[in-house]
Parts: sequence; structure tokens; C-alpha cells
Amino acid sequence: MICENCKERPASVVITKGYMGESMDHHLCEKCAFQSEAFNFSPNEEPLSIQQFLAHWFGGGDPLQAQPKKQQTGVGQLECPGCHLTFGKFLEIGKFGCPTCYDTFHERLPHVFGKLHNGQSKHTGKIPASFNELYLIKRKVEEIRLNMQKAVEEERFEDAAVLRDEANQLRQRLECGGEDADVD
Amino acid sequence: MRMSIEKFIQRAVTGWMIGEGEYSDIVMATRVRLARNLRGYSFPIAATEAEALATDKMIAGVLLDKMCQQEYAYIRMSNLSRLDKEILVEKHLISPQLTNPKRQGAVVLSEDETVSIMINEEDHIRIQCIFPGLQLEEALKQANEVDNILEKELPYAFDEQFGYLTSCPSNTGTGMRASVMMHLPALTMTKQMNKIMPAISRLGIVVRGSYGEGSKALGNVYQVSNQVTLGKTEEEILEELSNVTARLIAHERQARKNLLEKSRTALEDRLYRSLGTLVYARLLQSGEAAKCLSDVRLGVDLGLIEGVDVSIMNELMIFMQPGFLQQYANSELTQEERDIFRAKLFRERLLIDDVLPSTKKTTEE
Repeated sequence: MICENCKERPASVVITKGYMGESMDHHLCEKCAFQSEAFNFSPNEEPLSIQQFLAHWFGGGDPLQAQPKKQQTGVGQLECPGCHLTFGKFLEIGKFGCPTCYDTFHERLPHVFGKLHNGQSKHTGKIPASFNELYLIKRKVEEIRLNMQKAVEEERFEDAAVLRDEANQLRQRLECGGEDADVD
Repeated sequence: MRMSIEKFIQRAVTGWMIGEGEYSDIVMATRVRLARNLRGYSFPIAATEAEALATDKMIAGVLLDKMCQQEYAYIRMSNLSRLDKEILVEKHLISPQLTNPKRQGAVVLSEDETVSIMINEEDHIRIQCIFPGLQLEEALKQANEVDNILEKELPYAFDEQFGYLTSCPSNTGTGMRASVMMHLPALTMTKQMNKIMPAISRLGIVVRGSYGEGSKALGNVYQVSNQVTLGKTEEEILEELSNVTARLIAHERQARKNLLEKSRTALEDRLYRSLGTLVYARLLQSGEAAKCLSDVRLGVDLGLIEGVDVSIMNELMIFMQPGFLQQYANSELTQEERDIFRAKLFRERLLIDDVLPSTKKTTEE
């Protein structure tokens, strides 16, 4: 099969786009898949990773040629500890393997989502009630911690002690939430 | 709680097909779908069988335990015949993806078939509500009710920044896909859809054929849905979709009016010929049946054809599909046998009590 996009090179990648529970397969060559609308990563837009940076200095050869290749291997091999999906494979299949993938590929995702969602990468819709509650407690703990720091700096140790107890109480409530409390 | 699957298979008219609801002459149905997943479990695409069975048990357990408004049935895909699955897909109650034998797909269906919760489709949970006519808010409200029940009992995969985490990045955020099924024959006939579709896509709304592949709309039925799920609230998405829908309705109404005013005879000729085909044909292919059905529906909407109920046309739209025909015939059918059977079915449904649907006298004015 020939690549749908350039109609020159053989298709080696299938990108599945899903809408409304239906999915459409796009057969692309590696080059077009990498540059495809859904997952467009211009190497110039990406901040240089350590690997790329090192590759530039130590990789030898023409850096302009070496760069895209190194990018693919460096970033592409980033692997999710939850389901062992690599970032390269994610780009290839266009699907995450588990919720942990979102943490693993976190830094890359705003670009992916920007392309898919009109430049947006921040959720503003519904929040699960259970999450909301824990999220509020966490924010409160963070607030108390800052106040406590301030109190210590200003040598208001009695205030700091009260705040510490308050924070500990809230933390306990978070821990009582069991696994659910871990919303990081 | 338990209902037999036969009920869902044998009933041709499903909840969204009653031909009522607002703007039901143009908007046939409204669907809202929410995608949800459980933290700590691989998405169905990467899940082991044991994992999939575990998520299935958790989700179905909560649903069957907590949803008491109406009766629900729990149906495992592995317990269904190929034909049964095809019929549920044809009624839009499940997606083709759910029937993937590698995943432990199941569905929880409400008695009136307006709510279906798919388990282990592309995501762990897909809450789907289909209502007749244009009822975006109502469909979202219903979907949210199910969602609220589930979120209390299950650890949802949710992220502060990215919202609801889904297997496909095109669903991340709200996980919501809202869509409106529209019958747009006049805009199609006057070739305006080709111009409208790309213009709408720039607004983050997708228009495509509801049946069949790509932009070809079988029976002039289009699916209008939101593309973007991130960076907007559910309400904002519905409002945008609702605005586009309202504009499409106005355009379609205007196009119908123009057709009637400028080429009434040609239009009548086309619609009556289609009625004739449906009532008298002995071989009916699905493409032709869909086209003629669209014409007859337009004729009814314009008051040119009388004696055909909208719900019968909706029913025929579902019934003319291969799975249903074979169910009706009670046997596997070849392509040609299906065309014969389809023709027979249309004759029977349109010639109730041997009375021909009548056409209004057009010489009256």
C-alpha cells in the first residue's frame, strides 16, 4: 500500500482517528505520519532535550540531519511504566494505553492537544465531585503551608504551630481518602 | 432488573425513533456520549483479559446496583450471536468497536433504549444517551445523571490539566461528543452541503454522512458533532453545536421553500417517483431505498404526501439494514435475497390496510 498523503513512499504506519465511536484508518509512510496533522511536531518548535543537545555535540556528522533522527529515538523511546507504551508507538497508533501515559508523556502533550483541539490544552469542563473535594483540600493544605512559612519567618511560632496542626488534620483527611486521595 | 435480549433485538422502533421532539422534521435524533476511564487500569486497547473482566465487574456492578429509575439490562457481547450484535449496531445502541472479540465488551441498556452504557469499548465507560428530535441539554442531563452515579463509586481517571483521561487524545478533556442527526435533503439536492461542510469544520464542528463512509450521506442523513473536547465546558460545546444546528435548520427550510417556489413540478415528480418505487419495487437496494425514503420523508414534511407516519419512516430506515432484514426473514440472506426482502418489507409497511399513501392534489391552487 502506498502512503495516502505523499502517494510516493510505501505506507508503514496506520493512524487511527476516532470520532463518535467510529474510527478511520489512515495509511501513511513514516515521514508523513510524523508530519501528519494529528501529531505534528516540528523539531524547531521543540526545546532541545538533553539527548538532542548531547547528540548535537557528540553525535558527530551534520547536526541538521542528525537532529530529526535523534529526536525520534530519544523522545520516541520514552516508555510509560504503566502499560509500556512508548511515545513513538503512541504517535503511531494515536491512542494512549493507560491513564499513566498522560503523566509519562506530560510535557509533550500540550503540543499534541493543541493540534487536535484548536490550540487548547487545558480542561475547563466538568470535574468529578470526589476529585473536586480532594482538590480543594489539597489547595487548602498548600495555602496553610505558605502561611506557616511566613509565620516562621516572622517568628510567630505560636501561629505556626496552630497552622501546622491544621495542615496535619487536613493531610490525615487526604490519607483517609485512601488511594483516591492521590490526585497528582 | 434483568430483561431478555430478545426484546431489544425484536423491537424495531427504538427510543429515539418516535418522530417527536423539537424540529423533528429536520433533526431526527440527538446523541450525547461521555467517555470515562478508571484510574489504575489499562485502557481496553492495552488491557489483559483479566483486567478487562475486573473493570467490567466494577462498572456493571455499580450500574446495576445504583440505577433504579428504570429497568436496565446487562448484555455481554460474548453471549450474543453475530446477527444480534449487528442489530444493536444498526439501532445505534452499541458501536461496532464494542463487538471486538479481543475485548470483554458489554453494554447496560435502559428499558426504553435511550440510555446505553458501553463497557470496555475504546474507553472503560461510554455513557450514551439518544433522544428523538433536538434535545441537547436533555441528553447531556441524562448522561450526567449516570455519570454522577458512577463517579461516586469508581475512581475516575481525571487530571487537573487534561480533564477526563481517554484512550484517544481526540476525546481528552470533557470526554463528550454531542451529535445531532439531521435530514438535509434540500441542501443536498441544491449542492449547498459541499460548501457548508468545510465552512462549519472551521468552527470546530464536524459534519459527515450518518450512514456509510466519508462525506457521502446515505439518505441525506448527516451527523453534526463537536470535534473539540478540550478547553471548553460542556455547556459551551453544546451552545456552539446548537448554534450551528439552528443555522442548518434555517438554511434547510429556506432551501425547501426555494425548491417549492422555483421548481415545484420537478420536485413533486421526484418525490412521487420515489414513493412509487418504495411501494411497487420488487428489488430494492439499500442505497436506492435510502434515497427514496429521504424523498418520501421530504414529501411528508412539505405536506405533499399524506398517510405515511414519520415513525414508520424512521423504523424503515433502521429495518432496511442487513442485520434487521435477516432477523425479519429469520435466516441468513444473500445480497439479492436481501433486496427482495427489503422491497417486500417496504410494501408491507407502506401499504397498511391496503391503502395507498395519498398524494395531495397539486392542481388546487
